Amino acid sequence: MNQTKTNTTITYDDTSVRQFMIASIIWGIVGMLVGVIIATQLSWWQMNGKFLESISFGLFQGEGLSYLTFGRLRPLHTNAVIFAFVGNMMFAGVYYSTQRLCKARMASDKLSRLHFWGWQTIIVAAAITLPAGLTRGKEYAELIWPINIAVALIWVVFAINFFLTIAKRNEPSLYVALWFYIATIITIAMLYIVNHLSIPTSWIHSYPIFGGLQDGLVQWWYGHNAVAFFLTTPILGIMYYFLPKAANRPVYSYRLSIIHFWSLVFIYIWAGPHHLLNTDLPRWLQMLGMLFSLMLWAPSWGGMLNGLLTLRGAWAKLRTDPVIKFFVAGITFYGMATFEGPLLSIRAVNAISHYTDWTIGHVHSGALGWNGFMAAGLFYWLAPRLWKTNLWSTALANMHFWIGLVGILIYVAAMWTAGISQALMLHEIAPSGTTLKYEFIDTLKSIHVEYFLRSFGGLLYLIGFILCGINILMTARSGVPTNDSVEVAVVAREKKDTMRWGESLVNDPLAYIFLGIILVCLWFFLPAHANLGALVAAILLAIKAVRSFQTNKETWVNWHERLVDNYLPFTLLVFVSVAIGGALQIIPSLVVNRDKNIEGRLQELYTPLELAGRDIYVSEGCYNCHSQAIRTLKPDVMRYGRNGIADDYSHLGESLYDHPYQWGSKRTGPDLAREGGSIVKGAKLMRSGRRDNVWHFNHFLNPRETSKGSNMPNYPWLFESKTDFKSLPKKIAVQQKIGVPWPAMSKDEIEQSARGQAMEIANSLVKGGVYLTAKPDLSGDALRNYLSEQQVVALIAYMQKLGAYREVKPEGGTQPSPLDPDSYRATAMPIARPTASINSH
Amino acid sequence: MFRRIILEDWTHIIPIVSFAIFFVVFAYATIRALKLAEKHREHLETMPLDDTSNASSHHSHPTL
Repeated sequence: MNQTKTNTTITYDDTSVRQFMIASIIWGIVGMLVGVIIATQLSWWQMNGKFLESISFGLFQGEGLSYLTFGRLRPLHTNAVIFAFVGNMMFAGVYYSTQRLCKARMASDKLSRLHFWGWQTIIVAAAITLPAGLTRGKEYAELIWPINIAVALIWVVFAINFFLTIAKRNEPSLYVALWFYIATIITIAMLYIVNHLSIPTSWIHSYPIFGGLQDGLVQWWYGHNAVAFFLTTPILGIMYYFLPKAANRPVYSYRLSIIHFWSLVFIYIWAGPHHLLNTDLPRWLQMLGMLFSLMLWAPSWGGMLNGLLTLRGAWAKLRTDPVIKFFVAGITFYGMATFEGPLLSIRAVNAISHYTDWTIGHVHSGALGWNGFMAAGLFYWLAPRLWKTNLWSTALANMHFWIGLVGILIYVAAMWTAGISQALMLHEIAPSGTTLKYEFIDTLKSIHVEYFLRSFGGLLYLIGFILCGINILMTARSGVPTNDSVEVAVVAREKKDTMRWGESLVNDPLAYIFLGIILVCLWFFLPAHANLGALVAAILLAIKAVRSFQTNKETWVNWHERLVDNYLPFTLLVFVSVAIGGALQIIPSLVVNRDKNIEGRLQELYTPLELAGRDIYVSEGCYNCHSQAIRTLKPDVMRYGRNGIADDYSHLGESLYDHPYQWGSKRTGPDLAREGGSIVKGAKLMRSGRRDNVWHFNHFLNPRETSKGSNMPNYPWLFESKTDFKSLPKKIAVQQKIGVPWPAMSKDEIEQSARGQAMEIANSLVKGGVYLTAKPDLSGDALRNYLSEQQVVALIAYMQKLGAYREVKPEGGTQPSPLDPDSYRATAMPIARPTASINSH
Repeated sequence: MFRRIILEDWTHIIPIVSFAIFFVVFAYATIRALKLAEKHREHLETMPLDDTSNASSHHSHPTL
């Protein structure tokens, strides 16, 4: 290759690899332990804190502990597993393989240390803030804004260190694993920044700039691609480097790996809308999400087969080598999970699977099977090499494998069974044909066995991983931490990265492609005659491209080979690939006037007290178990819609001003979109909906008192914690900035409004005869005054507002309805255009 | 005819554009992968196994 004769000795930075690996094991155990705890909470509500009474022999007294509820711990579990466990594992693999593939030490030891300690500090901050109820209320994006900034900064540190290492490499070619790492770094930066755009109201609270549908779309563009580019592409890079090493043979097909990379990177970014199927998301976006998800089958299985076939002729190792065992099982789970994902993205299947445990099973076959087993294989391969010794116990590693595998299978099978059973029950119509057969609580009770098996499977997996930790610890103790050194031939600067930035886009093949796409788009967009001009231009361009190819064949042919040996233009092109997908999905929803997309219903603005209640709802993580989106499905509308109102699914305008949106992704409890109601006769602001204030009061105090068999935690602290009235003016001012049309109100007016509504609700509670066991001395006015200050009243105010909207009728009669697969629904209820408010619900 | 049926709203163009872009990217990547020079492919695919092919010696240093 293009190398000079100058040699130099390089000592790899394996210290960072060891640090990241140890951190991954520790955080992995923590994250999985929290997972097991929250799994048990779904079977036994006492696990939300009351169990402390027993294990502390009465030292702790209480019906629950706020820091330990499912709503607060579930984000801790997901963040710990994704960012702490897989994140640190990914960094260990990236640091080890990048240095060796580049034949260069990491660019800066200081940046490596800053990366490691910065990332661990972020994880500790998350572990403190999430149980404390400090959250942004968006899944996998819960961390509060100061931590978001820290994450972005540390990610940039990682990126600089990585790219500087590539820049000084002593190997001109870039192996495909590095391509996957580049795609990870670029895409995660883009996704994270966009989805975390917020305006702070204080040091610990902010509102996202997107609301309603837009927020949902941006959230799942991020959420889905966090799976794609944090949990998949870096691990695929690790697979392409470490599997050939473990099998001691090259990857089955390098050509296939090239197709795998470009297809995966390009398709994945489009698939986010499949998380919002059968909602009121525009049909074209649903179709886009579904079809691109189905297309993902091909590259995903291409990658899986490429991995498994790498073992051709080495399958005997599967019996004896735990590393190969974990890798093969991990890659197989990758194949299974990526088969299941597109399946769940088919709208008809999604109608069954969404909001149920089937999705949870799917996610865990990926997280436990693919990520967890690939991590274990990586650690068992790395540890003996990083400490220059043998693995302490192969038998223990084998035991880990079998315990973990059985754990995953029990977990996943339980979740499939629970999800499908519950969905079928929820959809079942009673023999009369006019009502649903089962109450929600009946369906929950029917899956208790599966919930127990989930905890058991998860516990087995955790035990297996603890064995891994012990094995790695003992391996480390039996060896000496060692940094490898090699003497390499230095590659002169002029022999690598010869392509300039601009060449990545402005060159013969690519420029023709981009121009061609633009002209074809113009052919579609432009009015009559002008569109023919664009078509003619496109044909002329195609002719010119063919001629250019004939005269500059060499340039055209070599362009891709040159591109993949030049990291900066390559990185730019990867960014363009992922940005196109994001832009084409999200920008149309951002630029179209939001008020024109309300489908006849415009959300009623919250009052200051209801906003305070909403913040409590978000803080307690209620969205982890309750959705606020009635899908456009008959069983959903029958269960959650109101009697006598046609097509009572959740219309887009009903959540227009929700920052963040709260459509949710799982229904451990019922949907709450129609929980609220209209203002009570004679009251100024107090509302009453499906259930009265007293019901909600008792429900928060002890859910089993109102809903026998419920697994919801008790919330005694809501009755002892005061509502934060003082922060409301600032919060409302920020909401005005992000487009919520709050009327002009002074600070005093805001506080008076909030306190007045709280007093109305507290009064109704006292009249209803509520009783506080924690405050037995309070009654009458004293009880009313006390309750009006408490969070429970603000939360009740919010619950009673859910689903309130103004109906708006189209101007000039019915508008043409769009032709799409759901046109039957549009025919049933023509799309409305807003002009004036008529009815209030 | 086809586009007249489906384009009742401008946003419906986006899936078509998406497929067009994807098809071009996929076709190009496939052609380039198939056309990859044999020698270069062999060099690339053996890189993970070849930690020290560019090295004249390989040794380890205990840390601390």
